[in-house]
Amino acid sequence: MTLALFPWPAGWSRQQRSSATILVAIGVLCLLLWLLALPLGQVTEPIGNNAQHFAEGARVTVQLTILSGIAGVLLGVMAALGKVSRIAPLRWLAGGYVWVIRGTPLLVQVLFVYFALPVLAPALQLSDFSSACVALALNAGAYNAEAIRAGLLAVPQGQMEAARSLGLGRWHTFIDVTFPQAFKVALPPLVNNVVALLKDSSLAYAIGVVELTNIGNRVQSATFQPLPVLATTATIYLVLTTVLTQISTAVERRFDIEGKMP
Amino acid sequence: MSRAANAAGGTPLISVDKVNKRFGQHHVLRDVSTHFNAGEVAVIVGASGSGKSTLLRTLNRLEVHDSGRIVVDGIEVCDNQRQLEALRTEVGMVFQQFNLFPHLTVLENVALAPRRVRRQGRAAAQHNAMELLERVGLKAHAHKHPFALSGGQQQRVAIARALAMKPRVMLFDEPTSALDPEMVKEVLDVMKQLASSGMTMLVVTHEMGFAREVGDRILFFDQGRIAQDAPPAQFFGEQHNERIRAFLGQIAH
Repeated sequence: MTLALFPWPAGWSRQQRSSATILVAIGVLCLLLWLLALPLGQVTEPIGNNAQHFAEGARVTVQLTILSGIAGVLLGVMAALGKVSRIAPLRWLAGGYVWVIRGTPLLVQVLFVYFALPVLAPALQLSDFSSACVALALNAGAYNAEAIRAGLLAVPQGQMEAARSLGLGRWHTFIDVTFPQAFKVALPPLVNNVVALLKDSSLAYAIGVVELTNIGNRVQSATFQPLPVLATTATIYLVLTTVLTQISTAVERRFDIEGKMP
Repeated sequence: MSRAANAAGGTPLISVDKVNKRFGQHHVLRDVSTHFNAGEVAVIVGASGSGKSTLLRTLNRLEVHDSGRIVVDGIEVCDNQRQLEALRTEVGMVFQQFNLFPHLTVLENVALAPRRVRRQGRAAAQHNAMELLERVGLKAHAHKHPFALSGGQQQRVAIARALAMKPRVMLFDEPTSALDPEMVKEVLDVMKQLASSGMTMLVVTHEMGFAREVGDRILFFDQGRIAQDAPPAQFFGEQHNERIRAFLGQIAH
């Protein structure tokens, strides 16, 4: 759900509104992560006395999401470019990556990176947090690749022809002409993936990362009060995804030059 | 005066020698040879599928010719990326579907290539872009995005965008074919103004009025060959070629 939380002055341009919304949403997110223990502390047991733990768990969840989200978008761009590349080995590499990641469960991937990679190469022994980041980034990257590839294919051939006819090289054709248009098309599915990522980061719990779900489960098993604990856990996720959606909607509005969004 | 003077200057600006191009079974260009001089306005006409657009697109390698040789301003059209980018800065192109960049404003559309390719500063590039927009009568629309403009206005922006690279030759690929009738004139007027400034122009079009008035030469394409290459007076005068007579008859309704 997207809430129209921000009634900006009528005179502001689309870009100003978008920037303001993004800034406010980021501010809200920071405040939330910083001060989450305060409102939770007001709630009765077993939430109030575990408020600090919930807040810490939420911080770890957001860290996981942001790090693997950024890495996942970069991986997605590279894999998408690989898939539309004229060089066959790059297409195979990107295709194989997407095939394997989409065809296996995320939980298995998380476990694999944490337990199996060090067996393959001891140098790849990562901490639980880093392992979760790597697995989530690889996973998000594969799904993002398909979203970005769809965006790249949606840019009309005439755009590239116009860019090339002006003497723009491959890099500038991509970065100034193709990519911004492809990104706009890819944005809604990308947002889907990032929201999914925030929730999927809960699987890091399986390798002992002390994130929000892990905290919820610990408190629940210590207090035997599943209802308030899991309701709180779910509510924090919902608040986080809501803020995230506000940011992504603002980004979409920034790209909505024609004013197609209501 | 300048046109005649330029045209007299020795080697041609563009030379096309025995160029062939096939799309699968379809032999689109058959041993096409011709040349274009600086300052000349050549109008290329013919039925659709006769190869006229393809020839235009081989000149800046949007299409790759299968055999033959094309030299533009001393640069051979080939696969060398550097050479190709240098060539493309000398050759402006205007497309049937305008192909403006929808995510950029009109001003940014015109200023992009000079900034990226000629490495002009933003202020200088936008200053030049403004001058060009004024020339095509769109200065007031500089900060709009292409979707907010009419077809005719978009095409005039596309002309300004191509001119911003200060090309030596301008290619027009059916520039008015996608326009509503009432917008054709504003685009043709800009092209006439450009021709009278001495620009070398190759124009693929069905606008016979423009061809007659502005063209120095008319090239008639038929089944991948140049069937006739004549001054307008001769082309539109007593025409002995049966196919051209039929073509002109159809165009005139």
